[in-house]
Amino acid sequence: MPDITLTIDGVAVTVPQGTGLVEAAREAGIEIPVFCHHPKLVPVGMCRMCLVEIGTPKIDPATKQPVLDENGKPVIAMQPNLQVACTNPVSNGMVVKTNTAEVEFARKGVLEFLLTSHPLDCPVCIKGGECPLQNLTMGYGPSVSRFDYDDKVHFEKPIPLGPLIDLDRERCILCSRCVRFEDEIAGDSVLGFANRGRAWMIQSKSNPPFNSKFSGNTVDICPVGALMNGEFRYAGRVWEIKPVPTVCPHCPVGCNMTLDMRYRDIKRVQPRSNEWVNEIWLCDRGRWGFHFVTSDKRLTKPLVRRGGELVETTWQEALEDIAQRLHGVVQNFGGNAVGGLAGGRLANEDLYLFQKLFRELLQSPNIDSRNGTLDEPEHDDLAYAFGLASGTDLGQLGKGTTVLVVGADPEEEAPVHLLRLRGIKRRGGELIVANGRPTKLDASATRTVRYQYGHEAHFVLGLLSAVLEGGSENKEFVRSRTKNLDALRTALRPFGVAAVAEQIGVAADVFQAVAQSVAGAENLVIVYGREAFAAGTPLLQALGNLALITGHVGRPGNGVLPIMRYNNSRGALDMGVRPGKGPGYTNVVKEGLTAQQMVQAAGNGKLQALYIAGLDPVAANPASRAALEKVGLLIVQDLFLTPTAQIADYVLPASSFAERDGTYTNAERRVQRFRAARNNLGDSRPDWQIFAGLGRALAAMVRQPALDTVAASAGKPTGKRPAPAQPVATARTWLYRSTDDINAEIVQQVAIYKGASYAQLKSSHGTWGRQAADDPVFYDGTSYTNTEGFGVQWPTLAEQTNVVFDLVFSQPTTPQPRNGELLLVAAPRLYDGGTLMQNAEGLSFWVAQPYVGVAKADAERLGIASGDRLRLSSAQGNVELYAKVDGLVGPGTLLVPDLAEIPLGQVQTGVLTPVRVEKVEG
Amino acid sequence: MFDLIKGLRTTAKYLFTKPVTISYPEVKRPVRERFRGKHELKRYADGKERCIGCSLCAAACPADAIYVEPAENNPQNPVGYGERYAAKYEINMIRCIYCGYCEDACPTNAIVLEHQYELSFYDRKAAVFTKEILLQPVDKGWGEPPPILQNLNRPPNPPAQMEL
Ligand code: SF4
Ligand code: SF4
Ligand code: SF4
Ligand code: SF4
Ligand code: FES
Repeated sequence: MPDITLTIDGVAVTVPQGTGLVEAAREAGIEIPVFCHHPKLVPVGMCRMCLVEIGTPKIDPATKQPVLDENGKPVIAMQPNLQVACTNPVSNGMVVKTNTAEVEFARKGVLEFLLTSHPLDCPVCIKGGECPLQNLTMGYGPSVSRFDYDDKVHFEKPIPLGPLIDLDRERCILCSRCVRFEDEIAGDSVLGFANRGRAWMIQSKSNPPFNSKFSGNTVDICPVGALMNGEFRYAGRVWEIKPVPTVCPHCPVGCNMTLDMRYRDIKRVQPRSNEWVNEIWLCDRGRWGFHFVTSDKRLTKPLVRRGGELVETTWQEALEDIAQRLHGVVQNFGGNAVGGLAGGRLANEDLYLFQKLFRELLQSPNIDSRNGTLDEPEHDDLAYAFGLASGTDLGQLGKGTTVLVVGADPEEEAPVHLLRLRGIKRRGGELIVANGRPTKLDASATRTVRYQYGHEAHFVLGLLSAVLEGGSENKEFVRSRTKNLDALRTALRPFGVAAVAEQIGVAADVFQAVAQSVAGAENLVIVYGREAFAAGTPLLQALGNLALITGHVGRPGNGVLPIMRYNNSRGALDMGVRPGKGPGYTNVVKEGLTAQQMVQAAGNGKLQALYIAGLDPVAANPASRAALEKVGLLIVQDLFLTPTAQIADYVLPASSFAERDGTYTNAERRVQRFRAARNNLGDSRPDWQIFAGLGRALAAMVRQPALDTVAASAGKPTGKRPAPAQPVATARTWLYRSTDDINAEIVQQVAIYKGASYAQLKSSHGTWGRQAADDPVFYDGTSYTNTEGFGVQWPTLAEQTNVVFDLVFSQPTTPQPRNGELLLVAAPRLYDGGTLMQNAEGLSFWVAQPYVGVAKADAERLGIASGDRLRLSSAQGNVELYAKVDGLVGPGTLLVPDLAEIPLGQVQTGVLTPVRVEKVEG
Repeated sequence: MFDLIKGLRTTAKYLFTKPVTISYPEVKRPVRERFRGKHELKRYADGKERCIGCSLCAAACPADAIYVEPAENNPQNPVGYGERYAAKYEINMIRCIYCGYCEDACPTNAIVLEHQYELSFYDRKAAVFTKEILLQPVDKGWGEPPPILQNLNRPPNPPAQMEL
């Protein structure tokens, strides 16, 4: 876009075309005060705070040339009235004056008017101290009001606007930022104005009230204390709070946030601005879901089973006993008799040490980051090869970008991705949403495709065929970077567009249109989620092939974005907590058991010891309890006494994310650092410390020649003093003093993390956010400036231009419901009521009641009405749920929200499960 | 020699003047009107607490001696006027430098440095004066709440009537 040069208060500034005047002025270091304007929202010009004088070069109507004065300078025609800066885009030669007497007088007037109906209760207002109205009144307002106090408008105050948010209508200045955020950014039109004149007010239009997963952001951007975080209202004043940078532990978006601490208490959670990840937003689960940290159910002491009871013990005793017994098992039965499960909620540092503990000290290849239930997908390797290339910013992509969403429900799985994907469409990109059921994203899509569950892979294979049949593949890329296209063509023969269209009930021209948009786009982002994983490897391969043959990998703005289950599921794979691959997706000598196989082996008595950290197989599938009880030595490391911990021999209390340092890797492979905000609870310890302690105890016992040589070479005197940066931990000592030591080792050992040292994670540039000392007026909300860095996205394989990819194909399978069986689908839910939602009272309102959604046609056929109790049984087991007949799923499918309360693992035989349905009394 | 006489003359002079020492604690020295001693948390004449828990005193305090923990008033049985009151109010008397800034900062004249100066403690914990110690008795209140707080008791404006 061409650049525009204009003059603001005598300062010449050059900005891209389309920039607003307020932003241009900011660029020049000049403040134009605003209330209703927000850099992320479409300007509306409601508050008139930004009035300025604007002039444009005079144009001679005859020649269409600027009129020049005697000095050869263009004559500027000033507009007769003051203009609002926020709705006026810049134009060439424009002259703007922001500090004339007239402008200052107008600002005074606007503020005096705003304050006529303002209660002026700053001393008890929770916005006081970070309130733009306060600040601008101090900066530009009149010092006295001519308005009689008794005539002020008076409402009942404050009232709850929703379960989480309170509204003080007296304070509202009717700027409509909240309404516009919900409409434009979140896509939930739940707020609106009511009445007219002095009774003009904000109200919630939805039932239940303020039904949006992003409601907290309206509090941030409200320029007054009208919208309030209900929990924070009496928590202290904002200047008494110390924000500690952290990363959200709830979902794989990895939003940057702060824990706002008043002494030892977390008072609120606020976003940190990171344009690469969450911009300045958070979802409500991230914002209000921190209360599990202070739950009184947290474990505070190591426990050991004595005489059938779990009793308290000391760390030293526990670690030494465990080391002794693990060592015993390894000596008597070999490393194969030991298994380890560590979940994607642990930090990278923990996970690295965990796999090192197993692979090096226990000689066991059996580690995994899954629960061992049948519905768990294959580990995702696609992002390693074709993940969103580094340098991709979903917040920048727009025109020319196609986003293909397959089997994902971003609103529930990764809420802030929903905002970012909507943004791509807002900026002119295409958003194609394919799923077996309607999701919230449909409303924002340029095209929705509805396939039958179980045909995810068929759909993508159909797309592949459409691309190849239309000859629209990227021939140059296919020639230079891929091989075996012919084999793929042959394999695709049964999956021609016509055949697939017929089979899965999607029109053939839909395939053609989608294929065209995918192949023709400059950038392609493929998003897939938990429901897509149902199709397993065939789907992943098909998606990879689609990105490959259209040449959409390895360039910024292109690649796949898998949404996995836990916040650090990606980190768990990166660190090699899985049977087949080591840290950094390297091959391992010996393939170990998967989580499922471990549970089985436990049941067969083949597994002598099992170490479970941050996972809960028994809660996921109560049937695995019997198997795990057979394990001779069961060690569980967790925050809570989970159902698995209750049957353990040792229970080790771990610290929560708020009490420790570490890094998480988000869905986009961005490694981000989080910091400790409070002290460890009781005797609990960070996971890495527990692993390191155990490692030290074990290393002292294990006399292995391999270790000795490693230790010897590490400790060999070189005549020089060792450089201080040298990691202190050796195979022999396992002496890690802090996560810095582990990070240094990871950077050294794991190739893809080469650029992810703590120093590099800290780099940030051009950050913006909460009004800083030098930027007091441009108000974009209470999100904090990012001081902890933007993190580092590790590079994918496809970014190395010399790698050639094989176009592999495997035959898709579909679950075959036998006669009368229906397909059970678990729909992810953000508010799942799980352990991490404990104590979050505000959120509990949103946790759905358990139900099973039945399609209308099936309900009629089987004589089911809403409220009937149904028993769903599969080969695995059964669950009983109340039926809700709704139109959300197509016939032949049952939809069950994935809530912690429903023991779905009991019946699932895969991500999709054929079940028999019968009515029961009750 | 001369110096000695000079010194003795001064002694002799003071022998016949009124002594400046007072026999504290039997006799207490009166303080000036503006003396800044131990704080009191004041009440209104109707017995309601003046403090609205705004923490401005704590913000003004150069010694970081004040800790305020606010809470929401129960509308049925309010502690003070408005939505907020101080559930906890503590001043650390050994940190306090008796500057009176808190008094200046207070929007409701709730915290006032009064004339009590006998402050001694056997341990540091005892030096943290809680709200119970600082708060005036119910019957010692004075003054009317300011209009901004009285206004809160006004019934809300009637909802707009729209003629359609
Ligand atoms: S919104 Fe701002 S100006 Fe209004 S009472 Fe609150 S702090 Fe004061
Ligand atoms: S509630 Fe806040 S954001 Fe919404 S219109 Fe009022 S002042 Fe603006
Ligand atoms: S979108 Fe995910 S990472 Fe972001 S705040 Fe919500 S739960 Fe946390
Ligand atoms: S004493 Fe005054 S300044 Fe301090 S919290 Fe109470 S009302 Fe606020
Ligand atoms: S009218 Fe421009 S900021 Fe409100």
